[in-house]
Amino acid sequence: MTVDQLGLLASAIAERTVEVAAAGPGEPSWTDGAVVFVDREAGPRDQVRAVAVQACLLAAGSLGPEVLGRIGRRERRYLGVEGHRALAAQEAVLPLGVRGVIDRATAARSGSPAASLALAVSREAIPEPPAVFGVIRSGRVRTAVTAAEGGGDGEGSGRHVPRRESEQVLRELEDGDEGGGEGGFDLFNPVGGGGAAGWLLRRLLGSERGRGGGGQPGADAPTHRSATSRRVARRAALSAATGGLPDDPEAGPGRGAVYPEWNVHAQRYRAAWCTVGEVEPDGEGGEPLVPPDTHGLRRPLARLGLELERRRRQPDGDDIDIDAVVEAQVELAAGSAPDEAVYVDTVRGRRDLSVLVLLDVSGSAGEPSPTGRRVHEHQRAAAAALTLALHDLGDRVALYGFRSLGRQAVQVLPVKRFGDRLDARALSRLAGLEPAAYTRLGAAIRHGASVLEAEGGTARRLLLVLSDGFAYDHGYGGAYGEADARRALAEARRRGTACLCLSIAAGTDVRALRRVFGTAAHAALPHAGTLPATVGPLFRSALQRAEAHRRVSQHRQRAQERLRIEESRT
Amino acid sequence: MSDTTGPYYVPVGHEEQVFRAAFRQGLPILLKGPTGCGKTRFVEAMAAALGRPLITVACHDDLTTADLVGRYLLQGGDTRWVDGPLTRAVREGAICYLDEIVEARQDTTVVLHPLSDHRRQLPIDRLGVTLDAAPGFCLVVSYNPGYQSVLKDLKDSTRQRMVAIALDFPPPDVEEKVVAHEAGTDPETAARLVQLGQAIRRLEAAGLREVASTRVLIAAGRLVGEGLDLRAAAQAAVAGPLTDDPSVTAGLARMIDAYLGGDAES
Repeated sequence: MTVDQLGLLASAIAERTVEVAAAGPGEPSWTDGAVVFVDREAGPRDQVRAVAVQACLLAAGSLGPEVLGRIGRRERRYLGVEGHRALAAQEAVLPLGVRGVIDRATAARSGSPAASLALAVSREAIPEPPAVFGVIRSGRVRTAVTAAEGGGDGEGSGRHVPRRESEQVLRELEDGDEGGGEGGFDLFNPVGGGGAAGWLLRRLLGSERGRGGGGQPGADAPTHRSATSRRVARRAALSAATGGLPDDPEAGPGRGAVYPEWNVHAQRYRAAWCTVGEVEPDGEGGEPLVPPDTHGLRRPLARLGLELERRRRQPDGDDIDIDAVVEAQVELAAGSAPDEAVYVDTVRGRRDLSVLVLLDVSGSAGEPSPTGRRVHEHQRAAAAALTLALHDLGDRVALYGFRSLGRQAVQVLPVKRFGDRLDARALSRLAGLEPAAYTRLGAAIRHGASVLEAEGGTARRLLLVLSDGFAYDHGYGGAYGEADARRALAEARRRGTACLCLSIAAGTDVRALRRVFGTAAHAALPHAGTLPATVGPLFRSALQRAEAHRRVSQHRQRAQERLRIEESRT
Repeated sequence: MSDTTGPYYVPVGHEEQVFRAAFRQGLPILLKGPTGCGKTRFVEAMAAALGRPLITVACHDDLTTADLVGRYLLQGGDTRWVDGPLTRAVREGAICYLDEIVEARQDTTVVLHPLSDHRRQLPIDRLGVTLDAAPGFCLVVSYNPGYQSVLKDLKDSTRQRMVAIALDFPPPDVEEKVVAHEAGTDPETAARLVQLGQAIRRLEAAGLREVASTRVLIAAGRLVGEGLDLRAAAQAAVAGPLTDDPSVTAGLARMIDAYLGGDAES
């Protein structure tokens, strides 16, 4: 048994995602707000108690910045009171074996962290905290502790700065006793740090990111810069949009496919409005992405193509199709030869699915997600996992990135075309994609759908968009962009192409995507780890919907043909 | 409140009053709540208390209108009409309970519309008749607005005809009573199982699709009644069904040990 398995217990008591990691033998337990460190050599019961105490401190708000900012050297005295208070406050959720630790007399002396602090500062006698209480390392508690409850990313980067500063000061003042190299605190991480992601995310994504370190090697500098500067740039772009942008800065029309765009204000198309060019992605993007483990994804996806389908009016089958029988009887009674196909059969469909994955590589994907890594990394991991899983299953699959710089320069970056091999080169092309520029969603969807329909080569087609939901380009914002993207999707669906959008770890406005894709064809996932649980039903419902559309249009076509034939007869 | 012989149900809010009022007014009822929180049991208890027969239909995505309304069968070359469960309930004045209605296709649920507004009628086009619902007929549908809602949702036109009753897992004291009664365990065992369930429900983002429902806690209690060790029972009935992921399973096992493990010395 390893201590990290106690993460669920800690999360249950703390009522937020908390990870448990091993501390050295004999080391007292402590927490940095996201991770509880416990002695890996301690007995199971002591580990549980130590974890419970630290989780209670987190749940009871004992490690808030307002207390830790004033605690000075009185950490032991504070813990002696506050530990019991926190345990008592959370008693209802504590395992019985932990409740025995509570010293009720001491717990009753304080009603809040502030009161405990006041006691700690006073000269009153305070019992020494038991060993399982561990220690408080105030200098290493992340400020994220309180902010994490507010729920992730949030708009107010301005709000966070002062806290960062105060913590920095705090750390410099008080973190004298720690010799450790890995600081529990990451200046460049957004609020939430690694905490909100929790152990599950790290484990599932196989993160190589050191706990105290920054981003991945080689990606540090841009990540850090983007955490602040991109945000500002985005704001500026937004405000400029309301003031009216100059026309597209890129004058000359690029070479590539030309698509119309829906002008919602005028309620008509702007013909040949967007130019989409396929741009080879920079293949020298460093080492290929480590192929993700697609095991969990394969099962839900495998069943997609081979669904059991009940078909009516079959010549053989395990059930009688009553309607068909009745009709046959009627026909028999009327004297005509009845159709003998009167059974309902359960048929296994064969695989005939092609999928085109569109990956948003616009600048907004460079935003840090609430979990610390950039949205781009989450989306890229999901794209890789889905593409590999579908490819392994024998589906036809293609992966394209997309971004734009005005309507004349919508770029689609083929990472893997339908005909390409899915090899290390493709994975290194994927790894080389770096978020930049803007998002002209509608044009990308139109291009993706037309590539899919031309090259997919199967009856069932799925266009999968991985985007953070921030659609913005020159003259392409807000309601206009949403309406155009919605229109582009409706066009594709009418042609029987299923459309689905996933936003992963994005803190941006998911409601906009909901408006574009509808709730049924859009899902916001907290991280790529939840893909296996969700893709199956999502894919299925998207495909079923497209199937219905296709049947309706086929029906209509046939009706029109019949009409034409009848007209020609008369 | 409920009849002593009726199914066991402990009301948590004023759901019984709402149900009775809606029943008397002939309004259809929409029960919302997570899996295993007692929706079906609530309907059973109310049907018994109101003295109406209960006709339950478990909805699935292959459910056709004919499955609900009825169909012609062949009998020696002649056809014979057979009522579906919905038509039977309409004729008899029974409570018709459509479990997990979102699983049914939307074109199927449209047949409910004339039944669920002031008309209270069921048109059967194959028979060419329109049935008026007998007094005592009540339409109850249930739906789990959790994880599925991303994929399927009730049509607005359907849900707007309903009176909604939101159910959730009962508070700990009530849930302890329920587990003790249903599983026949002693209150102490029930309390510890409920505490484990409550802890699992506090795990929001741990990768669990569903949380530990009252139903699985009762199942664990029943296994204990069969002589199983408390931890083994919880492992089998609570942790096992929740996840296949090995590390989440390991984490849950540690939680079970902590909450249900050998009694502490204190």
